Amino acid sequence: MTGGYRAGPLARGIAWATVIYLVLPITIVVPVSMTDRRYLSLPYETLSLRHYANLLGSEAWLGAIWQSLWIAIASTAIAVVAGTLCAIGCWRLARRSTEWVRALMLLPLIIPSIVYAVGLYRWFGTLDLLDRFLGVTLAHGVTGIPYVVITVSTALAAFDPRLEQAARGMGASLGQTLRWVILPRIAPGIASGAIFAFIHSWDELVLVLFIASRNVFTLPRKIWDGINENLDPTMAAVAVLLIVFTVLLLLLDGALRARRDP
Amino acid sequence: MAREAALALPAARRAWALPRDAGWYALLLPAFLLMTLLYVAPILQVLAISVTEPAPGIGNYERLFTNPGVQRVIGTTLRICVTTTAVALLLGYALSYVIALASPRAQRWWLLGVLVPLWISVLVRAFAWVTLLRRQGLVNQGLDALGLIEEPLRLVWNEFGIVVGMVHYMVPYAVLPMLAAMKEIDPRLLAAARGMGASRLTVFRRVFLPLSLPGLIAAGVLVFIFSLGFYITPAILGGGKTLMAAEWIKLQILDLVRWGLGAMLATVLVVAILVTLAVFSRVVDLRRLFGGGR
Amino acid sequence: MTALPRPEAMAPAGSAAHALELRGLSKRYGSFTAVDAVSLRVERGQFLTLLGPSGSGKTTILMAIAGFVAPSAGAVLLDGADITALPPERRDFGMVFQGYALFPHMTVAENVAFPLRVRRLGQAAREAKVRAALDLVQLSAFAERRPSQLSGGQQQRVALARALVFEPDLLLLDEPLSALDKKLRAELQEELKALHRRIGRTFVNVTHDQEEALSLSDQVAILNHGKLVQMGAPEALYERPRTRFVADFLGKSNFLRGTVREVRPDMMALQAGGTRLLQAVQGAHPAPGTPALLSLRPEKIALLAGEEAADNAVAGRIEAWAYLGAGYALTVATDDLGPLRVALPAWRAPIAPREGLPVRLGWSAEAAVPVLEDADGA
Ligand SMILES: Nc1ncnc2c1ncn2[C@@H]1O[C@H](COP(=O)(O)OP(=O)(O)OP(=O)(O)O)[C@@H](O)[C@H]1O
Ligand SMILES: [Mg+2]
Repeated sequence: MTGGYRAGPLARGIAWATVIYLVLPITIVVPVSMTDRRYLSLPYETLSLRHYANLLGSEAWLGAIWQSLWIAIASTAIAVVAGTLCAIGCWRLARRSTEWVRALMLLPLIIPSIVYAVGLYRWFGTLDLLDRFLGVTLAHGVTGIPYVVITVSTALAAFDPRLEQAARGMGASLGQTLRWVILPRIAPGIASGAIFAFIHSWDELVLVLFIASRNVFTLPRKIWDGINENLDPTMAAVAVLLIVFTVLLLLLDGALRARRDP
Repeated sequence: MAREAALALPAARRAWALPRDAGWYALLLPAFLLMTLLYVAPILQVLAISVTEPAPGIGNYERLFTNPGVQRVIGTTLRICVTTTAVALLLGYALSYVIALASPRAQRWWLLGVLVPLWISVLVRAFAWVTLLRRQGLVNQGLDALGLIEEPLRLVWNEFGIVVGMVHYMVPYAVLPMLAAMKEIDPRLLAAARGMGASRLTVFRRVFLPLSLPGLIAAGVLVFIFSLGFYITPAILGGGKTLMAAEWIKLQILDLVRWGLGAMLATVLVVAILVTLAVFSRVVDLRRLFGGGR
Repeated sequence: MTALPRPEAMAPAGSAAHALELRGLSKRYGSFTAVDAVSLRVERGQFLTLLGPSGSGKTTILMAIAGFVAPSAGAVLLDGADITALPPERRDFGMVFQGYALFPHMTVAENVAFPLRVRRLGQAAREAKVRAALDLVQLSAFAERRPSQLSGGQQQRVALARALVFEPDLLLLDEPLSALDKKLRAELQEELKALHRRIGRTFVNVTHDQEEALSLSDQVAILNHGKLVQMGAPEALYERPRTRFVADFLGKSNFLRGTVREVRPDMMALQAGGTRLLQAVQGAHPAPGTPALLSLRPEKIALLAGEEAADNAVAGRIEAWAYLGAGYALTVATDDLGPLRVALPAWRAPIAPREGLPVRLGWSAEAAVPVLEDADGA
């Protein structure tokens, strides 16, 4: 919405203050991570990278990062495959029943993760999936589906359904139509969904607190322990790395979107 | 006019004939199975536990009316959620208003300021707030250095800290639906109203506010239901002293092993959220919100 | 409408196999009937056009033939075999969609190769066939372009090449020319017709452009409100329209109303006000005293010089006229027959038209055709 009309000074004041409130705490961890002290503070005399060295030299931190990465990759794969196929099916069938299916897929966004975590704790107990890589991956994969369903559905809304008909009319099977016509056209939407599902798993803590303990020890779990036990500047270094990583993923998403709708 | 053999479709495919659309339904299957077996089933089990443990019956739910501990947790949760929602809506509304009226170039920058925080890890953000707000934190140090305070202020590990952290998390969620609604308001309408001699305040009250109201309600519903079950931020910034529903549930189950009670409050949370959504279902379109916002 | 014979009765009896047939095809959307019991038959190698106003159900019929729309009732038969339940990808029909539906992420060559890829044809054979198909539509030079880099006419030809490359027995075309400007459309009509002659496949084309229907087709099926009104060769439809709707929709026509006075084996006389009309009759003879409706094409009316005689003659005044290059279009006001449209060749026109000029019009007893009033007043 653009035009000659501009917001008044009061609104602009609040808006600026809000954005500073949103962004400042995130940026403040950058100088804190480079402090020359052993405790959380701004740098006094010089900037120091020793907390980064600490972090990258620590078996425990690297192990947690490694585990989180694998879980995020595997669960993203689950979410992308299941979510994409489901979104395509719902789009093509477009019945009332598929509206319900789509609503079902959005449940994990609405129901608090604490409730799911409690249920999963019991459920995985009976399935013997507690504290196992597979268990965490499945849980993250299922809760990542809504992100993929949403982005892929959005991409499909701009897809000409006659292209699908044209392909079928020329004799293409469903698999061929998917591979050669539909998927290439909605690839940017799938990539967006994958990025969000990845960030979701990478950041997820509540489920991990319940269904993992010693064998599976993800990065968020490690940060959580750090915040509760010893607040030291290494934590700030981790935070900065995470922020940089997230911003890079968002930039990637932005680039994909720019290619999709120039 | 015999067709060349090479151009016929593979014979195998002609042979089996499934009902129309069967293939498309098959596409729904993986997600549907995952979702029902690994998501809906565990949650239904929670509902079941709340009426079967420790003894079958609605004993756990009676605690809602008899147990002061439970009542206190619910009171705290509602109080914090309402405060959070109100503040997040106020800040988010002003922000969306300014973004909606900004030039497209400026809009991109404003949106960056809203969307990047949205995707930064909750843990990282809670950590940042602890760094800033704790007794020896940067805020207290700064105020002390300026000579403005004698004693460090108690900014965190209480309700104030929780609200600061939660509002920080919720403002982007408030902005997205409101901005979507405001972007559909024709700016010429506002300019025309100004041109007819209305003051800025009148234009806002009579034209802009009513038109953006659906977005405001949607944002309110969204922020409120997200706040109700929030765990990490209240747990870290509350410091274990101020208990909200989610942390209380965790305490019951992981530390006190009182499954029935924990499951009961979890059920109450889910029911409260679904009822809220159902009541406002006409104004809240989650799919559009998430699809259009990012 | 009730007087119409069932269209299948009009198809030549005992015709060869390899034909497409619709039997009582209906499609209902809720309580709305988009296609109403349409039965027709296309012989192999024929060019059939479905013609009708917007919303008359043309696309729906074509989609039912292609298998994208499941009929509510009736059947689609290919070579006598019922294919109603066969999914589209197993029908082996070529199709050109309204708007072409080219794959935007593929080059022209990849688009054309698609049906061959689906059929798992080897690389070499595929390339040869694609080249041949592009040659056929004269687009070989554009093989590596994307559809977005082509003009509308070129895109249309790519769609055609893509539909033809796997040599389907039946080609379905949904308003393939409607998005083009007039000149290009005329050019591509020529090409389409030549192509049809060259490859000898069965074409089913949809259009709402009557000129296109007349110039391209062997058979034209006229639809209105989801019903098949009349089907036949273009000349037959133009010369002997069965109903007022057909006469009006296919070309221009004057409609003369009168009461039957006298009926002889090959001739009848009508009374229209003070004018007596002589009209040839074939087939059913109306009873004296009944009302009758005649369709009279503007080009079949002549200007009579002086006291020249004709089967039918009526006096009037030129009410309006327009010069169209090849001829004049006159509107002549008459007392008994109302305003009549007259097409007059401009070359050696007997008069110089001007408003108010009194003229005498004449036409032979064979010029007009009795038509039926449409049941639903369309
Ligand atoms: N999916 C549908 N649901 C409901 N009604 C439909 C549907 N598809 C078509 N119709 C209706 O059926 C009628 C016939 O539609 P159809 O597309 O066959 O017309 P058409 O003759 O191809 O028209 P046009 O020349 O405008 O393309 C129309 O009145 C249309 O509104
Ligand atoms: Mg149509």
